[in-house]
Amino acid sequence: MSDLVKLTIDDREVEVAKGTGLVETAAAAGIEIPVFCYEPRLGPAVGACRMCLVEVEGMPKLQAGCTLTAQDGMVVHTASTSARAAEGQKGTLEFILVNHPLDCPVCDKGGECPLQDLTFRYGPGSTRMTFPKLTFDKPIPVSPLIALDRERCILCYRCTRFSSDVAEDEQLIARNRGAYSMIATFGDEPYRAPFSGNVIELCPVGALTSTQYRFEARPWEIQDVPTVCGLCPAGCNIRATTREGLVKRVQSRNHPEVDGGWLCDKGRFTFPHLRSDDRVREPLVRGTVGLEPVSWDAALDRAEELLRGAQGKIVTALSGSETTEIAYGLGVLLRRGLGAHSAVLDESTSAALDACRAPLSTIGAAELVVVVGDDEVVDRAPIVDLWLRKARRAGAEIVTIGARGSVPAPVGGAAEALRDLAAADSELGGRLRASDRAILVWSGSGGGGGARLAEAAHALGFEGKPGCAVFHLPARANARGVAEAWAAAADADEADPEPIGLLVVSGDEAAGDPSVRALAERASTVIAITMFHSLAVGWADLVLPATASLEREGTAMNLEGRVQRLRRAVTPPVPDELAWLSKLAERFGVALSPHAAVVFEELSGRIYGGLLLEQLGEHAGLPARRPYEAPEPTPLAHSPEANVPEDHFVGTLRLLRYTPLFSGHQVERVPELQFQRPEREVALSTVDADRRGIATGDLVSLRSNGTSVELRARVDARLVEGVARLADEHAAHLHADVEVVKA
Amino acid sequence: MSPTLHDEIREVVKEYPEPRSAIIPALRLAQERHGGWLPDEAFRQVAEALDVTPAYCVSIASFYDMFHTEPVGRHLVEVCTNVSCAVSGAQRVVEAFERELGVHAGETTEDGNVTLRTVECLGGCGWATVVAVDNRHHLRVQAGDVGGIVKELGE
Repeated sequence: MSDLVKLTIDDREVEVAKGTGLVETAAAAGIEIPVFCYEPRLGPAVGACRMCLVEVEGMPKLQAGCTLTAQDGMVVHTASTSARAAEGQKGTLEFILVNHPLDCPVCDKGGECPLQDLTFRYGPGSTRMTFPKLTFDKPIPVSPLIALDRERCILCYRCTRFSSDVAEDEQLIARNRGAYSMIATFGDEPYRAPFSGNVIELCPVGALTSTQYRFEARPWEIQDVPTVCGLCPAGCNIRATTREGLVKRVQSRNHPEVDGGWLCDKGRFTFPHLRSDDRVREPLVRGTVGLEPVSWDAALDRAEELLRGAQGKIVTALSGSETTEIAYGLGVLLRRGLGAHSAVLDESTSAALDACRAPLSTIGAAELVVVVGDDEVVDRAPIVDLWLRKARRAGAEIVTIGARGSVPAPVGGAAEALRDLAAADSELGGRLRASDRAILVWSGSGGGGGARLAEAAHALGFEGKPGCAVFHLPARANARGVAEAWAAAADADEADPEPIGLLVVSGDEAAGDPSVRALAERASTVIAITMFHSLAVGWADLVLPATASLEREGTAMNLEGRVQRLRRAVTPPVPDELAWLSKLAERFGVALSPHAAVVFEELSGRIYGGLLLEQLGEHAGLPARRPYEAPEPTPLAHSPEANVPEDHFVGTLRLLRYTPLFSGHQVERVPELQFQRPEREVALSTVDADRRGIATGDLVSLRSNGTSVELRARVDARLVEGVARLADEHAAHLHADVEVVKA
Repeated sequence: MSPTLHDEIREVVKEYPEPRSAIIPALRLAQERHGGWLPDEAFRQVAEALDVTPAYCVSIASFYDMFHTEPVGRHLVEVCTNVSCAVSGAQRVVEAFERELGVHAGETTEDGNVTLRTVECLGGCGWATVVAVDNRHHLRVQAGDVGGIVKELGE
């Protein structure tokens, strides 16, 4: 093949694809070229650290191996066959260590530190340095999440390259130049960006460390559990580091097709919610003075009593964050055991998307991406935002259609925008149709996004083109798996019971959902399955403790349609859901295993096409596309936005609520994450702000139907006219139409 | 009414393919507006005008010698101590300035009149030692010339 080149490294002949980096080429031949700054995921090599020095025949000077690509006929000598290269490398290392404190015994990186490892292998055994080393104040808080020990830094620029070239937040920079360079943020401001934590993992020394992990564990006394993040539908692959039964940190487990080795800060730093003070650790029953703890036997008796008492008039509110196995277990108990088929789930998605599915990494290679919807991608499925940025850097055109889009659209106009795209006369639609590398993304609520998206992709002819794909970003992590598992647990039609005898609330997202709370108003009794006391008080007759995704065995289906395996990183402080669901099921004469693996076996044939647990492996593959079937209106698609009025009163603005990435019951319980939460502010379009004489920073009052909220205004040039955009948590009880006036 | 810094920067931006390319002239304008140095406020203004982060502006400004991130006096004396000037006696010139002004290199006189700095090459290697006073180059400066230069700077 002409695309292959043959070269010699340390007297070994290697054949690799043209354009392969020399570091990878050497690795393919079983030869190590040591590196610090080299990290292909950060873009082109910079050759900053000089650790990779090699001798290349025909070149007079030593070369930075990481900056070279394999060329036909190249003859390379690494330090193991070239005395010059070895000396160069030794000198480099000695130079790097001139100001390095060698405080490995008290450094968190010690034991898993590339600098430590390479010094052992290539470095001098002793130092010739007799001068005092540079010292700095330490540790410097880069943010409440990241500490900087400046004297350990070797100026490889991995972190600043991540900040400017991958996340593109440009908040972490190098100040000054040459020997005086130092990593810094602007003034005393924290590194406040959705992906900041990645710089901790990128740092090849102990300069950037996690404040959560600092002084918590040593590498020889920890265990890493491979599992999957359960906080958004992307399903990034993670490793949970545990020590003595506690999760100590979460790191990326690089699935090249899903996350490319990056994690958002929500996925990385939210685990301390497992140890929240208000965690429900035992079943609670409503007594005369509020919720009282009871034994598990008493709790199951009470559950049985409530379930029987409702005489089938039961509605189940699903969170979409359950494992597929738990959702199936609930379905077995409630549908098969009790004939209670009615369920609600916010924003279910559609199986019809499988006709045009592809790995998320496909986005990175796209030439045209169209994102429809009013929500920022980063708020719904953060890692998708990084794929979009990668695509844009590679020259792709990114078109966003929504309230803050490059193509402005009215709030809730996504479905219509998709219909327009699929129409024959659409210019953009025509380009999507013509392209072999086009992507459609739905990033918004309501409107049956998954089904609409599948229809549009079908109309645009995406099915036959592997480089074209669609991605629906549902609000809940396992929305798809939960909906399908619930549907597969029994064959019967749903009938909404009236009145509702019992509302079963499964999980914290459902328990915190205002529409579920409204449903509870109409229910005689409520069973809440939740992790936290604050979500249980005031409405539940029986509270059963829930577990977190880091404590669960099971599977989840991410937004690509990829089935991935969750593994129990730590034992939960309570029995897991399947344990007591199986006991309850027994009381109603239906069989349900308490073991996730057994439940998986049963449900796999029904919804996963007979997939075996072993097939999932550590890095699950994405099943092949399925033939397109026109989506049916799914029975679970209860959209809370459906009752928004068409037009609004003159002078009022349409309220656009969004759910920020850093929000939710888990984030609220992690003090060091609070600085990432959104400011108390409302965004207004330039036109609306000018009309009201409002400038950024002004205190404004939002009023509707007798309630009002005061916050700061921010003029958002990207926002469409007629809209007031603010985070859910600041919107309180405001209605769909608000008056905005200067306070 | 004089144009705001924002307007001035936007004017400069027009001459470049994209706003961030104008960062150097934008910082220079900001420095002029802020009394010869760049406080945090200046970085925020430049960042806002160019749609970049203040941190990015700092990374650029702190790289170059002609941007100052600390307050400077009304006059700025910069002595080149790079190779050519060093072999022509730049160190003695620096010491003479230190004596005359009563400050160390890198400091500002107590009355806020003069800041003395040592800098890298000013591009006048053929006329060493080069001293830039308020950006005007004095060539072939010897220690004995220093008294006169300082006198010109006044009180």
